[in-house]
Amino acid sequence: MFSISGFEKTFEYLDLFKQGLICTVSLSFFTVLFGFMLALVLAVMRLSDFRPFRSLALTADGHEKEEGFAAALSRFNPISFIATVYVEVFRATPMLVQLFIIYYVVFANVSFPTYKIFGFIRTDRFIPGVVALAMNSGAYLSEIIRAGIQSIDGGQTEASRSLGLSQFETMRYIILPQAIKNILPPIANEFVTIIKESSICYTIGVQDIMYAVSATKGATYRVAEPLVIATCVYFCLTFPTSKIIAYFERRMRRGDKR
Amino acid sequence: METRDEALISVKGLCKYYNKGAIKALDGISVDINKGDVMVVIGPSGSGKSTFLRSLNLMEHPTDGTILFDGVDITKKKIQDENGKWIKLDIDQHRRKMGMVFQHFNLFPHMTILDNITLAPTKVKGVSKAEAEEKALELLDRVGLKDRAKAYPIQLSGGQKQRVAIVRALAMEPQVMLFDEPTSALDPEMVGEVLDVIKELAHEGMTMVIVTHEMGFAREVGNRVLFMADGKLLEEGTPEEIFESPRHPRLQDFLSKVL
Repeated sequence: MFSISGFEKTFEYLDLFKQGLICTVSLSFFTVLFGFMLALVLAVMRLSDFRPFRSLALTADGHEKEEGFAAALSRFNPISFIATVYVEVFRATPMLVQLFIIYYVVFANVSFPTYKIFGFIRTDRFIPGVVALAMNSGAYLSEIIRAGIQSIDGGQTEASRSLGLSQFETMRYIILPQAIKNILPPIANEFVTIIKESSICYTIGVQDIMYAVSATKGATYRVAEPLVIATCVYFCLTFPTSKIIAYFERRMRRGDKR
Repeated sequence: METRDEALISVKGLCKYYNKGAIKALDGISVDINKGDVMVVIGPSGSGKSTFLRSLNLMEHPTDGTILFDGVDITKKKIQDENGKWIKLDIDQHRRKMGMVFQHFNLFPHMTILDNITLAPTKVKGVSKAEAEEKALELLDRVGLKDRAKAYPIQLSGGQKQRVAIVRALAMEPQVMLFDEPTSALDPEMVGEVLDVIKELAHEGMTMVIVTHEMGFAREVGNRVLFMADGKLLEEGTPEEIFESPRHPRLQDFLSKVL
């Protein structure tokens, strides 16, 4: 299965793994960056209080009805609805299907400039890969953000609103500063997850670590050795990262007890 | 009841239903709260006392009825201005004039005591930071907590937290203070220090509505006592009338259990 000569042959292609490593890290980095921005938008949409049909439930003297069809319609929030549909669809379908749809269908007729980042990352594969991963992880991250915001005790909102702060001011000064503590650690963990999940981008030809495996395999006719090296590279990437995150998470918890 | 001033808050037929009327937390409450009143609300648990209090600044939105505060029906979503034009009712503006103190304090844990107090005046009323801090320190001094201004809520005892919460509400210079069981979450030895602060406010003529289980305190500080049960206002009177000669059998029963 393994042989010294197999490893020797594989090591000749170590540069491919180095490039793959850089590609995987930048793929994950851009994914989390854009995924987080998308997630923030989605979370705000889901928690918004936009009700265009609100006035339908108003009685002649300005009171709001609580029952009936008009009242139900007045509570309908289309912005939140769209965001919810997005999140549920992306969480309920396989990543691979989403990736293929985006690469082969959505970007089928889009021609990217054949520019190469760092001289070897092909943008026409890399960009669709980032888009697909970011759209998928945005759905998951938005749930993390939403849960972080909703984990803050309702009494905080009540106290803030009773002082006359608006809903926006309450979010800005009271809820978000407290929620960020709950949100940051899982987001960092999502980064680790994406490092691993980004490996499926090899199926559309992104030159990440898995691409290096298949290229080495084609050149050397060895399978086991390149895979062992890929495993090591992934492990060395994710294990220390998650340990560092755990360390900062513990430190933040300690801050609570003061 | 003597009519000293015009009503500051006038409540009429206030109802709060849950499950489409299956549960009636409030069932037609009507009462006038006048300037300078110290109104104490008592009653068994689940009687709707807290719901009533929380309706006054619309923490709970009532199902039916009206609440006139400063002449405006705040239960409406839209009101007519002087020119008869329909405008959106800005509830935040009215909440600024009503201070509220909660059972569980609800201080903001990520801010110092001083920042807790100055947040609303600076962000909402546009008071300068220096001015707000001076006022906050003055108020903290009155409740004996000036030296804790730079501390965080977690470093304070329950009684201290509640005194800060009272100061936080007072910093907005409200026309009325609403207390929702302010001493129920406190250790017994800390109840006194919080009640003393409320008593002092009463002597200064602050209009207050207090939901409490402290009967001795209710009797001493209140000028009007409301007795609620099952979402209804069953009896109203001076502390003497309520505690010396209760008429309603539910009130007699309640007092025999708590006194």
